[in-house]
Amino acid sequence: MTDNLKVLTKYWGKINPLRIEDYICVGGYMALEKFIFKMNPEEAILEIKKSGLRGRGGAGFPTGDKLEMVARNSPCGVNFDYKIIPTSRDTPQGKKYFICNLEESEPGTYKDRLIVDNNPHLLLEGIIISALSIEAKKAYIYINGNYEKQKEILEIAISQAKEKKYWGENILGSNYNLEIEIYSGAGAYICGEETALINSIESNRGEPKIRPPFPTEAGLFGCPTAVSNTETISNIPWIISNGGERFARIGSKNSPGTKLFILSGAVAKPGIYEAPTGINVRKLIDQYAGGIKKGKEFWFAQIGGACGKLLLEKELKAKMEFCVGTGRDLSVQMGSGSILVVDKSVNIHDLLISWTDFFRRESCGKCVPCREGTFRLWEIAKRFRDGKISDRDKTAVEDILWTLDNTTFCPLGKFAGTAFRDAITKNILTF
Amino acid sequence: MKQKTIQSIILEFEPKSENILPALKKTNAIFGFVGEKEAKIIAEYFDVSESKIFETTSFYDEIKTEKQPEILIQICNSANCTVNNSFSIISEVENLLKIKAGSSASSKFKLEEISCLGRCADGPVMVVNGKIYERVTKSSVHGILGEYI
Ligand SMILES: Cc1cc2nc3c(=O)[nH]c(=O)nc-3n(C[C@H](O)[C@H](O)[C@H](O)COP(=O)(O)O)c2cc1C
Ligand code: SF4
Repeated sequence: MTDNLKVLTKYWGKINPLRIEDYICVGGYMALEKFIFKMNPEEAILEIKKSGLRGRGGAGFPTGDKLEMVARNSPCGVNFDYKIIPTSRDTPQGKKYFICNLEESEPGTYKDRLIVDNNPHLLLEGIIISALSIEAKKAYIYINGNYEKQKEILEIAISQAKEKKYWGENILGSNYNLEIEIYSGAGAYICGEETALINSIESNRGEPKIRPPFPTEAGLFGCPTAVSNTETISNIPWIISNGGERFARIGSKNSPGTKLFILSGAVAKPGIYEAPTGINVRKLIDQYAGGIKKGKEFWFAQIGGACGKLLLEKELKAKMEFCVGTGRDLSVQMGSGSILVVDKSVNIHDLLISWTDFFRRESCGKCVPCREGTFRLWEIAKRFRDGKISDRDKTAVEDILWTLDNTTFCPLGKFAGTAFRDAITKNILTF
Repeated sequence: MKQKTIQSIILEFEPKSENILPALKKTNAIFGFVGEKEAKIIAEYFDVSESKIFETTSFYDEIKTEKQPEILIQICNSANCTVNNSFSIISEVENLLKIKAGSSASSKFKLEEISCLGRCADGPVMVVNGKIYERVTKSSVHGILGEYI
């Protein structure tokens, strides 16, 4: 398999995102036709399972398994033996939902936005197939409140696709029905977390919910719900058209496919590049992003956004994977796929404040360890910059980092101290 | 007059719970914030308690519960913009307007540090009263603020 196989970006810049005809001309919506006329939902899910596709939203959960769980759960209200308290008075009976997660507020990440900017119909086709495969009657696109232009692009795409009967009632003359709605967020990083996102659509505070029940059993309005990331969904049409086995042969064995990598910071050509998974960080920096920017000296790279690990020069051979520690080679959890290259001219104290301020601001406040811990870390980071750090602060940092790692309610708190800890243990910061 | 408009805003929404957030966003967009009076009317319309409306309103960054200063300046200080020197722009604005980031002391200006807007390729990013400026530099910031002052 070659490095330049493009599943997601093949038509970027080549077709007009505002014209459905352009997308159809290059074979668009053929996967949907195949799904409707030649497959049943179980077969489609089986293909997705065979593909080994893992969620691109960060955690890397196998997408086929997720869809299968929702497909198998009976719609709420019908033979539902899980004891749930309906989250809303309007709990509809007998429904399932599919949600496309387009919140994307991970710092340094804008891949989902570019998918919409360049090929919105690819995403839409993926949404329709995924939703129909779990027999959802309604799909939501939960979009970041700042993505106003992308919302407009999607609205155009959605109305064009409706005219062509790709969604709505009796899709392409079949018995399938599907409604699609865009739901706009209101500025909260935590709303990218799926249970918080569901709370947000229900117009509650966007705080994560306890699980079980998992959204696949009792999600939106208490009904079985699959939430998938925008990039994940955009792989679905390719998998349906070309088969899961072919997809499974691309990239790394345990997290196959291609991935959008976002390179920024001190590289010569910052931007988004599609490459097979399992590629190492050095290759991405040197061969895709044109190496380090002239006049800059590499210091370290941060992988996967604000909660990502820091890699030193000698660690750049680490492979970008979703399940780390399974292979023999060094690998790193790729998260959202962003790589921030930090050079030696950057003030580490500013960066420390940046990381801690982000989590302080974005902590939803539901649990004490995160609400307090992120706030105190931020205070300490400021004292650090001002040269006022005390011995007490130093021991406190250890305690706070441990508490965040071990006692918080959701992953936001758990990973809030990752970069801080790495900066200390890797001697980036002299403490 | 105000009362009438808020009612006409919410009438666009079906009184289902999932429409509360969109209705609050719309109200915020038109009035600049969701005050007690508006909250009361919205609560009645959706048949929920006022505290529920406040709960939701106070959670989201985009919806404000108080009148906002005349000029709201927001600068991204997430890692990518930081690497591109956003902190020097923050101090430039602080010195220029004699305000502190995060402080509400001035009723005219407010400077806020914000999280990533996904425009990392074009940082540092600054937002003034909702309008986004990219690749801001210590010198260009003067011209940008000049448009507002
Ligand atoms: C704090 C936090 C923020 C998240 N933000 C996002 C996000 O912006 N976009 C996203 O797709 N997933 C995000 N996720 C992951 C979602 O919870 C969920 O796992 C994902 O949408 C599932 O899709 P996938 O299986 O396709 O990855 C976030 C998770 C956490 C804990
Ligand atoms: S860990 Fe943080 S973001 Fe997660 S629930 Fe607790 S306070 Fe909220």
